[in-house]
Amino acid sequence: MLSFLRRNQVLFTAFLSVLLSLYIIAPAAKGQHRVDPIGPLLIAVMRPLQTAIQSTFFGMRDFFGSYVALRGVAAENERLKARVRELEGEKSRLLEEEATNKRLRELMDFRTEWAPKAVTATVIANSASAYFHTVIIDKGKANGVEKGMAAISPLGVVGQVVAVTNRNAKVLLVTDSHSGVDAMVQRTRARGLVSGSLDNGTVMKYVKRSDDLKEGDRLVTSGLDGVFPKGLLIGTVSRVNKKNLGLFQQIEVGLALDPARVEEVLVVRGNAPEIKD
Amino acid sequence: MKVSLLFVIAGFVLLLFQTTLPRLVPLGPYVPDLALVLCVYLGLNHPTVGAVVGTFLLGYSVDVFSSNVLGLNAFALSLVFITAYLSSRAIWVHSPLLSASVVFLASWVKGASLMLLWATVLTMERYGIGSLHYIFVDATMAALLAPALFWALKRGQNYLEQMKIPE
Repeated sequence: MLSFLRRNQVLFTAFLSVLLSLYIIAPAAKGQHRVDPIGPLLIAVMRPLQTAIQSTFFGMRDFFGSYVALRGVAAENERLKARVRELEGEKSRLLEEEATNKRLRELMDFRTEWAPKAVTATVIANSASAYFHTVIIDKGKANGVEKGMAAISPLGVVGQVVAVTNRNAKVLLVTDSHSGVDAMVQRTRARGLVSGSLDNGTVMKYVKRSDDLKEGDRLVTSGLDGVFPKGLLIGTVSRVNKKNLGLFQQIEVGLALDPARVEEVLVVRGNAPEIKD
Repeated sequence: MKVSLLFVIAGFVLLLFQTTLPRLVPLGPYVPDLALVLCVYLGLNHPTVGAVVGTFLLGYSVDVFSSNVLGLNAFALSLVFITAYLSSRAIWVHSPLLSASVVFLASWVKGASLMLLWATVLTMERYGIGSLHYIFVDATMAALLAPALFWALKRGQNYLEQMKIPE
């Protein structure tokens, strides 16, 4: 028996790890979660490296972007070229700062308008798997972020906080197939649930067949899920499909913003005051 | 020991790239599955108990950065390791085309196992043709990356195995 185990120890250990994974997953089937002992440590170790890679890449991209754009103009002589290159670095840095300032100013205006207790956070990492749409932000428990809070931006809904460590939080994006935002059509007040899907991109589920929906209709949060404040833009209806059978119609949604490309978010508690147009 | 250290470092670096690259390069919803390629490599070329534990931890780490349910990727990558390990008894992966093919199939194993878990244990969500398209693109991306990563890992492994420990 022992020699059999020794001969097949790799296979045996691999099966044990499959069983251990299932043991870790099991509580999720009942809607519960296990305490994660490794996650916070791993995120803390990776955080500075992820931030460094991101800043280096954005810096280089802006530098080369400016270089290509100005190349034709600054071709008079070598001295001017050198000077232009020098200035390009400076310019790209300033442009990046200006763009960041503009975004942050918009975020601040949005924040003071209706959610003074909101937390402003920067996205530092994305999901490591194509099957899950999440991002990691640089604010956590220490900054007042809690599980279940909403992540939004002036342009629309981003997602919901699903895990929090002391200095970071994981946000499940609205494009994930396991997310759900209680939504309504602004024109007709018809309600449904906006969620990601691997089949058709982002969809609005459980919209009654009798409800009147047209392509281009604006979708906003209903506020009834207690997570997202009422009246926040989600996107527009991009396709309506009424099948011959079934209680509901199939609605495809074009999101107002791509949540995976958002750089800064506001983290807020639900049931905030309604947003004014 | 040195070879194990190489794979630990490789796992860490690949995970780092996997969590930052898609924000920097516009790939839509897709993420290059570097962790999967490493797991297939380990299953084929370095099947040890340590590699199994490493695969599990790598999957768990992917879960930490991605899933709202811990253990899903640990489960899927462990299955991928078993598949690669069992295949290594039957085939010898020596060409880039073959390594790409094995990674392509392994990616399907991963996608199918994740969807099976979602459908049976976690939700009643039904997956259709769109999901197959999703797995296909994911698998193709991983397969395209496989030859280069296999080459780099093989070079590193060979170098460390040939290195003599000073007396």
